Amino acid sequence: MARGSFLRDTLGYRLAVWYAGLFVGSSVFVIGLTYFLLSASLEQRDREIVLSSLAKYTQEYRQGGLAALNRVISADRLTLDERLLVRVLGRRAEAIFYNMPADWDEFDLRDVEAPQAPGTVSWARLRGRRSGAVMDVASFRMSDGTRLQVGKSSENRAELLVRFRTIVLLVLLSVVLVGVTGGALFTYASLQPIRDLSTAVRTILQTGRMSARVPTRNTDDALDELSVLFNTLLDRIDSLIGAMRGSLDNVAHDLRTPMTRLRSIAETALHSEQRPEALREALADCLEESERVVAMLDTLMDISEAETGTMKLHLEPVRLADLVRETVELYADLAEEKNVTVTTNVPVELSVVADRSRLRQVLANLMDNAVKYTPPGGRMGIEGHRTADGVTLSVQDTGIGIPATELPRVWERLYRGDQSRSERGLGLGLSLVRAIVQAHGGRVEVSSEPGVGSTFTVTLSSRPVK
Amino acid sequence: MAFMRVLVVEDDPTIASFVVKGLQQAGFAVDHAADGERGLTLATSEPYQVAIVDLMLPGRDGLSVIEALRRRNINTPVLILSAKRSVDDRVKGLQRGGDDYLTKPFAFPELLARVQALIRRASAGTIEPTRMTVGDLELDVLSRQVTRGGHRIELRPREFALLEYLMRNAGKVVSKTMVMSHIWGFSFDPRTNVVDVLVHRLREKIDKDFPVKLLHTVRGIGCVLKVE
Repeated sequence: MARGSFLRDTLGYRLAVWYAGLFVGSSVFVIGLTYFLLSASLEQRDREIVLSSLAKYTQEYRQGGLAALNRVISADRLTLDERLLVRVLGRRAEAIFYNMPADWDEFDLRDVEAPQAPGTVSWARLRGRRSGAVMDVASFRMSDGTRLQVGKSSENRAELLVRFRTIVLLVLLSVVLVGVTGGALFTYASLQPIRDLSTAVRTILQTGRMSARVPTRNTDDALDELSVLFNTLLDRIDSLIGAMRGSLDNVAHDLRTPMTRLRSIAETALHSEQRPEALREALADCLEESERVVAMLDTLMDISEAETGTMKLHLEPVRLADLVRETVELYADLAEEKNVTVTTNVPVELSVVADRSRLRQVLANLMDNAVKYTPPGGRMGIEGHRTADGVTLSVQDTGIGIPATELPRVWERLYRGDQSRSERGLGLGLSLVRAIVQAHGGRVEVSSEPGVGSTFTVTLSSRPVK
Repeated sequence: MAFMRVLVVEDDPTIASFVVKGLQQAGFAVDHAADGERGLTLATSEPYQVAIVDLMLPGRDGLSVIEALRRRNINTPVLILSAKRSVDDRVKGLQRGGDDYLTKPFAFPELLARVQALIRRASAGTIEPTRMTVGDLELDVLSRQVTRGGHRIELRPREFALLEYLMRNAGKVVSKTMVMSHIWGFSFDPRTNVVDVLVHRLREKIDKDFPVKLLHTVRGIGCVLKVE
């Protein structure tokens, strides 16, 4: 039990970890990519702002000089929320115009005073001394040697990214939460059939009742198929156990009658003052009765084994003609004694794959009946025929026949028709015949007319089912 | 016949005493062991012509006794007695070193016949007689002639076979099962007694016209050919 739950837990744990890992991992990847792209596009946007401002201020400066530049910047400061560094450097790199938000003093502007070719725009990145922010500065050198510089700190987009990171963190947290619980739930749900299977097996092992079944979902997946197969297996075991228990009950019941007879013979002999010869007779009766008990037990066991499919059949090719000859020989004297003519018509080439001695038992039992119930002067015939997929063997007699009402019951164990009670026998012969034939995958039928005779026909397939 | 010793290893006291007494009456010297360990000790220390071993024994079981014997190169013929009747059990018993297998319950004559057959087989070279006589009944196996008091008796093949079998076992009871398997090679018992019919026919021919009867029926067991 511990082993089962350990296995299950390990499997469940692994599945859940895989699921959550994949889920969280792919989410982290997607979010990371988004973050990177966002950060890149924000930087791009800042640069575009810087460039467009640079172009605009350059034009203002050319047209209206410092005054115009000052005017535009003041106007922009009111209308735009973008804060920018604007500096105009003279020919000797002296600051002619300087406009920068006060809190940007952490950037060292001397880094961008290096000489520059005229008519070009050059970029520089300044690193803040206090915060981790950076400032991108674009410089344009005009033909007169003056340089116009516009810069923008990354503080804005950093702030945005910080906010984005917070959101992303929250999202990731929920993703992990969803991933882990989802993984656990998913695993739990997909392992449900296996848990059901374990429960069913445990119930059977602990209670011994075979009625437990695994619930199925009709989903046609592999686990559901396993459940269905397992249930089929249980059904089969159940019916086998039922059949065996039934036959055990029957055997116990059937043996009581002869055992009672045995007991009463012995008791009667014991309680009466009799001559030694009479006691001898009683003992001989006991002996015969006990022989009957053993014969009955053997036959009942054979029937049970054949019916439950536990009879071992030693299959080999059997020539029917040989089988019939041997069996007819066994009954030849008896038939002659009773003046019953026996004719056989079995083609030599007819053969089946079967258990030779079991099949001989079948034939012997049928012949036994035929000889027993055919009055002197009667006939019995054994015929073999080939059919589409096998052979038939029929034993026909001109005996007393079986009334239509009794016909269906002749196969029942210990059933003896009114007419057959006077003959010796166990009432098991035909049950055994049918059980053996069915164990071979064949069938046996009877047709009869009282006063005219009976025909028993055994049909066997050339290829036995087993 | 030389002095024959038989070992019986059987735990059930009733069956054991039944077998021991029967064998003693048949002229054997019999030792009995009630469990496998004792049986093995006896079988390894004493010379026996045959050992009769039950399979279900307390302590060491019958099969293991037989295997232990064979491992020690003791080749005493073993007749297995068992309540298990399936073909597989028989095959297993014979494969493990048993020489014959008899299913319980059994008729004593059959046990005796099998014990004698095992001894015959072990002392190979014994020539079976071809002329046998019981009272004034004579049978010649070679010329297939049967006479009683000088009168020729015509027998059919199966009747002859039965008479020969009975004469070879003269004075011993022969069970129906033994006749069945000897004459027809059938190992099961069809309910209608074909053996009775054959015995009846033989009796008609050898006993009917003579005042002294030779073929006797022993009810519940079988029949015997003997001079009373």
